[in-house]
Parts: sequence; C-alpha cells; structure tokens
Amino acid sequence: MKVTLAMKPATKGFIPIEAESIVPKNFLSDTDLSVWRGNRELRLDEAFEISVEGDADRPEDVEVVLSGETSRLKRVGEYMDGGKITILGGIGMHCGNFMSGGTIEIQGNADGWLGREMSGGTIVCRGDVADYCASGYRGGRKGMKGGKVEVFGRAGDFLAENLAGGTVIVHGDAGDMAGAELRGGTLIVHGNCSRPAANMKEGSCYVYGTARGMIPTFRKIGTVRHEGRTLIQFAGDLANRGKGNLFVKDYEYLD
Amino acid sequence: MTELLVKNACVIDPLQGINGEVMDIAILDGRIVEAVSDAAEVIDARGMLTMPGGVDSHTHICGTKVNFGRYMSPEDMRAGRTPRRGAMHATSGYSVPTTYGNSYRYSVMGYTTLLEGAMAPLEARHTHEEFTYTPLQDTMANTLFDGNWSILEAIRDGDTKRVAAIIAWTLKAVKGFGVKLTNPGGTEAWQWGKNVTCIRDPVPYFEVTPAEIIRSVVEANELLHLPHSVHLHCNNLGTPGNYTCTLGSFGLIPDLNPKRQTLYATHVQFHAYGGSGWKDFCSKSEPIANYVNMRPQLVIDMGQVMFGRTTTMTADGPMEFNLYRLHHDKWSNHDVELETGSGIIPVVYRRKNLVNSIMWAIGLELALLTKSPWQCLLTTDNPNGAPFVKYPEIAALLMSKRYRDAEFETIHPDTGSRVPLPAIERELDWYEIAVMTRAGGAKALGIQDLGKGHLAPGADADIAIYPLKIDEVDPSAEYQKVIDGLSRTEYTIKRGRIVARRGECLVHGSNATFWVAPKVSDDYDMGRDPDFIEKFDRYYTVRMRNYPVQEEYVNQSRCIVTEAEL
Repeated sequence: MKVTLAMKPATKGFIPIEAESIVPKNFLSDTDLSVWRGNRELRLDEAFEISVEGDADRPEDVEVVLSGETSRLKRVGEYMDGGKITILGGIGMHCGNFMSGGTIEIQGNADGWLGREMSGGTIVCRGDVADYCASGYRGGRKGMKGGKVEVFGRAGDFLAENLAGGTVIVHGDAGDMAGAELRGGTLIVHGNCSRPAANMKEGSCYVYGTARGMIPTFRKIGTVRHEGRTLIQFAGDLANRGKGNLFVKDYEYLD
Repeated sequence: MTELLVKNACVIDPLQGINGEVMDIAILDGRIVEAVSDAAEVIDARGMLTMPGGVDSHTHICGTKVNFGRYMSPEDMRAGRTPRRGAMHATSGYSVPTTYGNSYRYSVMGYTTLLEGAMAPLEARHTHEEFTYTPLQDTMANTLFDGNWSILEAIRDGDTKRVAAIIAWTLKAVKGFGVKLTNPGGTEAWQWGKNVTCIRDPVPYFEVTPAEIIRSVVEANELLHLPHSVHLHCNNLGTPGNYTCTLGSFGLIPDLNPKRQTLYATHVQFHAYGGSGWKDFCSKSEPIANYVNMRPQLVIDMGQVMFGRTTTMTADGPMEFNLYRLHHDKWSNHDVELETGSGIIPVVYRRKNLVNSIMWAIGLELALLTKSPWQCLLTTDNPNGAPFVKYPEIAALLMSKRYRDAEFETIHPDTGSRVPLPAIERELDWYEIAVMTRAGGAKALGIQDLGKGHLAPGADADIAIYPLKIDEVDPSAEYQKVIDGLSRTEYTIKRGRIVARRGECLVHGSNATFWVAPKVSDDYDMGRDPDFIEKFDRYYTVRMRNYPVQEEYVNQSRCIVTEAEL
C-alpha cells in the first residue's frame, strides 16, 4: 500500500502543521485523521491531496510518501512502529519522536529534534539535520535508546545528546557538544565537531575528523586501528566518573 | 448575601468533638452560621463523609526554591498535563507542578489551607506572587531564620529579646506567618563549605551552637505570642543514626504554651534513622514516638516517603550536597545572602532499594506509634517524600493493616529485620485521619481561632465532602475505596463557594494570605536600630527600604496582630 500525501499550497505558509497522525499504521483503517495548523484542527484532506494505491493489512506494508512544502510539518512519524515514510523534501521539527520500528527517509534537510528518544527503527536523512538530532528531551536522563540514525549531510549542535543506545552516523561535520552526556550506544561523526562526548558516562564516540575544543577531562590511552583508520583513544569523562570511549582522528584543546 | 445549606452531612469535626454525626451545615457569606433562610441553595450530602477543609501544615508549593525545581526539571512537566477546561487553566508537572496544578489537585482532594514550609525572607515577593496564583487555598508562609546573621549575633550576646525583635521586624516586613529553622546553624556553616553534625557543634565565626539557636528562637517565638510555634527541621537530616540528634533537639524544648505545642518538628521520618552507616541503616521510630508521647509540647509531622519519582528541595544546602554525592544526578545550590540557603535534587524512591523501603516504613511507624493523632500530622513534606497527591494512599495505609502487609510484600525483602512496622497492629479510624489532615494542622498552626479546621458557627466555610459512607466502608479491607474517596471530593467548599466538584474545579477562586505582625515597643523596633540598619548598608544587595514586601503583593491580606512582650 502506498499513500501519497501532497501538501496543498497554503496562503499563510509560515504556520507550522502538527502532524503526529501521519504514521503508517494509521492508514490501515479508514478512520478520519486530522492535523493541527496553529490552533485550528484540519482534516487530513484539507491539508493534503491524498492518493492511495493498493491495500495492506500490516503497518510494515504501508509506505507513506510526503511531498510539497513538508518542512512546515512537525511530529511526522511520532510513535511510529513499522512501515515506511518517505519525505521527498525537507521535514520540520520532531520527526520520528519515540519511534520504535520502521523506516523514515528524508530526501532534504531535517529540522531540530529528529528521532528524539527513539527506541528502534531507522532514520536516513540525505541532507543536513539541525540541532538535537537523536537526542533526549530537555532535562531527561535518557535520549535515543535504540535503532539507527544516518545523516549524509551535516548535523547541528547537541547531536545525540544523552544517547543511551543504538547507532548515530553523520557523514558530514557535526556542531558543538556532539554526544554530550552520552551514556550508551555509538556515535560516529565522519567530519569535524567540537567538544565531543562532554560528560559522557558510557558508550563510544568516534570522530573521524578533528575534535575541536577537546574536553580536558578525558585521559589519553593510545592509538588504535579502527576500520582502516588510525584513531587516538581517550577514556572519560573523568568529571562524570565515566567509563566511555572517545576515539578521534585528531584533536585540539582550547587555547 | 449568599446562603448555602449542606444537608444530611455525616460530619467529623474533631475540634468540636463531633464524630460521625449526621447534621446540616448552614453557610452565610462565606461563614458557618446556626441557620439560613429558606432561600438558601441546598446541597444534599446524602450521608457522605463531611469534614472541615484540609489543612496541610507543611508543604512546598510556592517560592523561588519550588520554581527552581520546575526550572531544572523540564522533564517533570511532561507528566500531569491537563488542558484548559472551564474555569481551569492548563496545568503540567508531577512533583513540582505549576501553581494552578498544585491548587487544583489540592482542591480536588479537599484541601483549603496550605502552609508553605520555607520562605527565604529576601525572596518573599516571589512566594507571595505565586500564592496569588494558588487561588483555591488560603496560604501562609513559614519564614526562614536558621542562618540570619543578626539573630546569630544576638544569640551569641545572649539577648533573646533582640532575637524576638528581629523576628518581629522580619515577619512583618516579608508578610511571613511562622518561624522556620532549617538545620539551624548548618546552612550558615555551609557558606564556609561546612555543616554541623548535631546540636553541640559551633557555627563557624558566630560560635553559637544549634542548641542555643533552637532554645533562644523558641523563647523569642513565645515572647512574640505568635500563633504558630517554632517550626523545626532538625540538624543532620537523612544521616544514619541521626535519631539521637533528633531526641537531643526535642529535649531542649520546655512546655511554654498552654494552647498549642512549643515546637513543631517537621518531616521527622527523615530524622528517625538508626545505624552507623548505610549498611546497618534501620528504623528508630520507636524511641522518637515514645519521646513525643511523653511530651505534649511537641507536635511532629510524618514526612512520609512514597515510592516513585519526586524532587527534593530544602533550605538545608549541605544535606542536598550529600544527596547529590549519593545520586550523582542534577543538583542546584543557592545561597541567600545573610539569611539561609537551599538545595534541590530530583530523586526516585524505589521499592527494590532497602534504604528507601525502610524510609517508607518509618513514616508510617511514626504515625502509628504516636498515640495522639494531634501530635503527628499527615504530610509527605511535599514534594520531598512524595507529591501530595499521595496523601489518600497514606491515609489508607494508616487505616488498614491488610494494605500495609500487601505493600510490605512488594518492598525490599530485608526490610522486615530493620523496622518494627510488621508488628504494629494499630489501624487509625476516620476521626484520627480527620485530626491528622485538618484539625490537628489547624491547631498546631494556631489558626483555629481564625476559623480554620473546624465547622463551628463563625468559622470559615471551608468544607470537604467525600463520596464515602463511613458506616458502609470498612477501611481495613476496602482500602481502595478509601483511596478513591479521599482522592476526589464530591464537593469542596471554600469560603462558602463550591470550588470543586467530582474532580473539576469550578471557579477561579480568591485566596487569602495570613501573615503576622507582632506589635513591639519602640525600643525594640529594629527599623530604627543602627546596628541592624548597618547590616543592610554593608552586606545586603538590597536597601532596607526596598526589603519589605508591599501589601499589594499579598492577595487578600489577613494580618494577625499579636501583642509581643517587648
């Protein structure tokens, strides 16, 4: 079953739409779905041109394709547990919150909080992601607990903050405080980032580029070979009695 | 003129000695009267349990400390979200909810009067502003004097009258209600990075001991004829073996007041620990309760711990630092200039944790072993032991041995060898629960003469009607019914208006704040005392003339003027 949702052009294009109902399993039954634009509730067909091809009994067989000005859409795929969502453009904040299964593919850029507190499934973003990708909630103790997030562009600040499980891979650079409060799982940044893994407790963080503003409370252990690269291994964060591993290609401390 | 008649109410009103009598209650313009005209609006209570509105004698609901708890735990706001509905604002939060969240949840449980347990004088405006937005309860604030430099100096000089004069000036300035001592001396020592271990340790620089502080402030409190006694959070909170320190503090207290206690010791559960460390940690509720049983001058409150997530917050800065070292989670620490300090950390009390299980048992033991319910009031030190929404569960635990045994099965298996709880058969009755949740609180706070905590003609018409028939429900077996009934009133009436009905709050409400202004002679007016003025000029970040809280900060000000012996 393939559900295509093409956003209708809006007169006030700046108002975000909260679309937590766009989850594959919701298209299995004929229930009326709605989204919120500002303080107005809209039927799904008021906001989108909907076309459905085929039939499905399980969420795994449902693919939702979103097109148009989708970067205004928030909370798409929240609590998703199976199936696939493909977004042809960019996506707004909080895409894939709490997701536990299935796949979200974003062809464009993603705004903040992509895959926050997810526990399973896969998110692939072909463009850049903004801040707090694969992170936890503000003040919360555990961020992403499982699954995989792969970003082919760059990531913003606080990437994988409070990561507690699963894998996060960023092929470009990441911003400040990547992997802050890391407590499990694996974070891999192919490019550069600054202050990686600050206050980490457990888990692993790999930086294949340069770690700028390296946190001084990590103990240097030596060099290791990892997937054809030579990386420098650190243990820490000692400030948090941490037992984590930080691997960097290169690093520089703050002056 | 608004009239209301509550018919066929099964009334328990301990201050009047009424126990389960079916009667009518007449209300005229917010006060209880003998009779009303036929034009009165009638509520048929149909024999349901009817008590005076609840009085929480120690809770933390308003002020900078509470607000910082909200600020540092945004994740707490994910729980307890309710949308705007009728007269109700949107609320959020579980252990430190928004002010409206506090007010609505208390009101739905039938509480109409709240005492904020600790207000730093310098930050009083914030507390009063939040009081304004706690619309369904009358409020009052205990004012912190544990580390007040002027008071410590006066105690060093042995001048109790000066201590009283400083308390009088400050209470009047900040619109405070009672005198709170939190870890007396300890919070001041914390400003040097130290603590006091018990009542005989001198405070750095001032060289006075907590014992001297407690004794002189208690005497000063009685010189001022304040409605409430000194409200003490003993030294050495939360440390194994601290019960000796608690008994030592209790031993300092003479019986000075015929009308009420001379000392209110708060959250005594946290102060009734035996053992020399966490390995042999055990309950010492028995010696504490026995001591209280022998001394009518003492009133304590439980400070019951209930399992789950909450936030601890107190002016006891060094204690919170020790907790931080135990939990290694978030921690906030705050120093209030010449007055006090504070600390906050979020905690989770777990059934699987032996220490937490023992703490849970100690609170219940204190309530069950203290013979007179007037001497042990029901609190959780909200939110330190648990959020106040757990009160109905605590009442049910106290009323049902079977419920206690069922819960006991679920906690850490070694608890049985460390606590006397399984051997205690006592089950409290409705009358005793009424004392512990309203009448006792009103008496201990000294507000029964102001029309709180009872339903005699002339009293404020604060009434809670619970959907419980006390002759049909057996609390010992049907404890779930007790919990459900006490959690949601059929009607909560505040000053003659129905403010909550079956879980819905119906009106915006308009609360009053009680505060005390002791009348002292000109010789003891600290506003003219050169040394006191110099303290402001030299050390405070605010000027003396900007320090007092203006009356416009106080919503419906109810000033209590006392005649001090000064």
